[in-house]
Amino acid sequence: MTTTLEHATTMAQPKGGGLARHQNFATAIVAGVVLAWVGWFLGRHLFWNGSDNWSDQVTILTLLGWMLGFWIGIGAFNAPFQWLLGRDNTRADNLYYAGDKQGRMRYWKFTTDHKVVGVQYIIVTMGLLAVGGILAMAIRTELITPGTHFVNQQVYNSFIAIHGMVMILALIVAVAGPWGNFVMPIMIGARDMAFPRLNALSLWTLVSAATVLVGTLAVGGLPVGWVVLGTIANQAGPGMDFFAVAIVIFTVSTTVASVNLITTVITMRTRGMTLDRLPIFVWGTIITAALALYAFPFFFVAEANQIFDRTASTSFYVAAGGGTSWLQANLFWLMGHPEVYVILIPAVAALFEISSTMARKPVFSYRTAVGAMVVLAGLSAVVWAHHMFTAGWAPSLSGPFMVTTELISIPTGIFFLVLVGTLWRGNVWMKLPTVWMFGFIFNFIVGGVTGIYLSDVPLDEQLHGTMFVTAHFHYIFVGSVLFGAIAALAYWFPKVSGRYLNEFLGRLSFWLVFSGVQLTFGAMFLSGLKGMPRRDASYSFAFEHTNFISTIGAYMIMSGMLVLLGAVITSWRSGEPSGPNPWRANTLEWQVPTPPPLENFDVLPVITEDPYHFDETTVNA
Amino acid sequence: MSIDSPSRDQTHSPGDGPHDSPEKVDGRERLGVWLFIGADVVTVGALLFTYLYLRAVDTAGHWMNMWGYQGSLHTYQYWANAAANGTLKNPTLIHVGTVSAGLQWLVAAITVLSALLLWVGEKGLRANKNAKSFSATAVVAALLPVVGIIFTAVLLKDLPQIFVSINDSNTMSYTTYDSAMMALLSSTIFHLVILTFLGLGLSIRAARGVVSGDRWYQVRLVRMFWVWVALSSVVATLITTTITSTH
Ligand SMILES: [Cu+2]
Repeated sequence: MTTTLEHATTMAQPKGGGLARHQNFATAIVAGVVLAWVGWFLGRHLFWNGSDNWSDQVTILTLLGWMLGFWIGIGAFNAPFQWLLGRDNTRADNLYYAGDKQGRMRYWKFTTDHKVVGVQYIIVTMGLLAVGGILAMAIRTELITPGTHFVNQQVYNSFIAIHGMVMILALIVAVAGPWGNFVMPIMIGARDMAFPRLNALSLWTLVSAATVLVGTLAVGGLPVGWVVLGTIANQAGPGMDFFAVAIVIFTVSTTVASVNLITTVITMRTRGMTLDRLPIFVWGTIITAALALYAFPFFFVAEANQIFDRTASTSFYVAAGGGTSWLQANLFWLMGHPEVYVILIPAVAALFEISSTMARKPVFSYRTAVGAMVVLAGLSAVVWAHHMFTAGWAPSLSGPFMVTTELISIPTGIFFLVLVGTLWRGNVWMKLPTVWMFGFIFNFIVGGVTGIYLSDVPLDEQLHGTMFVTAHFHYIFVGSVLFGAIAALAYWFPKVSGRYLNEFLGRLSFWLVFSGVQLTFGAMFLSGLKGMPRRDASYSFAFEHTNFISTIGAYMIMSGMLVLLGAVITSWRSGEPSGPNPWRANTLEWQVPTPPPLENFDVLPVITEDPYHFDETTVNA
Repeated sequence: MSIDSPSRDQTHSPGDGPHDSPEKVDGRERLGVWLFIGADVVTVGALLFTYLYLRAVDTAGHWMNMWGYQGSLHTYQYWANAAANGTLKNPTLIHVGTVSAGLQWLVAAITVLSALLLWVGEKGLRANKNAKSFSATAVVAALLPVVGIIFTAVLLKDLPQIFVSINDSNTMSYTTYDSAMMALLSSTIFHLVILTFLGLGLSIRAARGVVSGDRWYQVRLVRMFWVWVALSSVVATLITTTITSTH
């Protein structure tokens, strides 16, 4: 009897979704593997195997087959082809695509609801951090004492390359992915993103790019470092094909995501949500998106050129044919420095939000803070050659690039002042997000000040290529961005799960990671100052003690991250219930129920003032 | 954040049909198209940067010259055998010429023509509300890029390959000029394929009545992108046909 009843209910609902009813992550993988095989088969037969490009041609075609199959299998092409044929989605279709009444299955599908995409981004970020983190542990374990231990130099270099690029991907999406998608549309009073299907596309494209990138390890690695300098990368094995294809796909993901984020903020704000009433995190998101839109096409072209070199005998980076690594270095760093702020700005903007709520005070000099983010994004486009001071590319430009790089310290200094100014004389609520924010403030000073050292050309000539540089950018990426990302996780976790992130485990994790960062990268500064080169599996006894300390510190970071993972899993299942607005914040995401319903608002709110007017100056928790 | 009572048009319950007016959706989509165009400007810009950079550095004089043997993949085995037998003569300095400027301009002209055609079609659709005649215009606009693709493929095919034998390593190679041209021409083909898809879509949709005299917004969206592609093909062709020599 039950069956008949269920049948009746199904019949009563509008039937939407069409083909998408049969598509999910599993069909994506199957279709990806099938078309990868087709690509491999065709490649082996179409291309002439006497050519020295043959294996690269086959590899590239295989990977393009994977990507195409994955897109078809997940359902990314349904809508474009329906459009072509003039059969647009019905309302029922759109509800199905949004994940309506699909329970947990919607997390495994091409689901358009921005909150589902946000959660998917959390999972993908954690997966990428896990892969990058395991490689980091392998690297630090190899470096625990002088001499080579369990990996040779080639494998070590592969670990460096994949650790580097996987972590870059992880941090690019760590804040803007989960929170730019989950909370940002609610913050501006929208029912979804401007282009919900592009939102799902950006997520699943990232997944297919990440699998290709990690797949590098299965085909002999990529022993050329994460910047894949053109001429050297040209001589690398099939891992380089994987890397190049992963970047090309990844660029599609970031471009689509950026277009969507910007359009959403510009066109989907609810009535009264004027630009000067925007929560500052929203500003951070669109400034980042604009920067990503500008920066990543350079990476796309850099790696497309590499693919041409490897498959079609061109000479972009082939020295014998007149090609030059400087071309690759320029294209790479035209992307590379802006990318650092694509990573940094969302974390900082989230901390502005958190600092205001936790101190019950408006964001200190809101307009200056927004201006500083804009200036930072703008400046980042004109500093790229500071990565090439010692490369001999354009010595006469070193002076100008030193000046532009030093100017960076003005907007970043403003970030610091805004955070401190917001907290100043506030009755700061010391909860988990606040704790991680204080960690950020400390580490950001260390990472920032050492950056000014490196911008100085004479000093850079000494420190370039040493562990000092590695320590500097890890203070930024791990010490600052990761701390900001975890603060954001702790802050918005209750909105996603309805539960607090466990305070005790979260603080235990904080102290492990915070002390670990000081040991690992503090000691690494000393290794670098003494002259220890980067990218080397082995080193002189002169660097013995500092490296040992770095490795111990790295194990502490890993333990801390495992504790955090434990906190996320246990809190998600059985954490202390938080209610809809545990921090008593004023931004809109906290005014809707938890979890927010499909399409967020029954009635769109009308905004009459900015979100930083707090009725009380303390929270008695 | 204080919230006023909502106005009537902002109430909504899930499942009650489309949320926003076509005008609102159109405004959103127009901004989206502009942003995609922005990303494409950087991409094409990076390709032209590659072209101009390689020309400016002209490493070892390899912009249009290369020591080797002109041939193609078909002659590869012949040269490779000669290299193996030690009967390969000394390499000669091969000078490759520019690819046909006429053909490049022809492709650009076809792209511009198709853009104008679509634009005229759009104006007609908005003025006369005749979806059938727009459908016909759009299909012609969509087929013109196919012609462009064919000519671009001819240009690609004509890029001269050079057999290079250095220290027992044999390979086919291209000069940096031909390398940069290969990337630009591939980008042209990619763009023209997209135009064909979009043009066909508009034509089918107009024939089915989804695009009509009252619902012409998508035509404008496609036209915006189309005009950008036409513009970029003119700019790229202008650069690659006038700035060719190293001095
Ligand atoms: Cu930089």
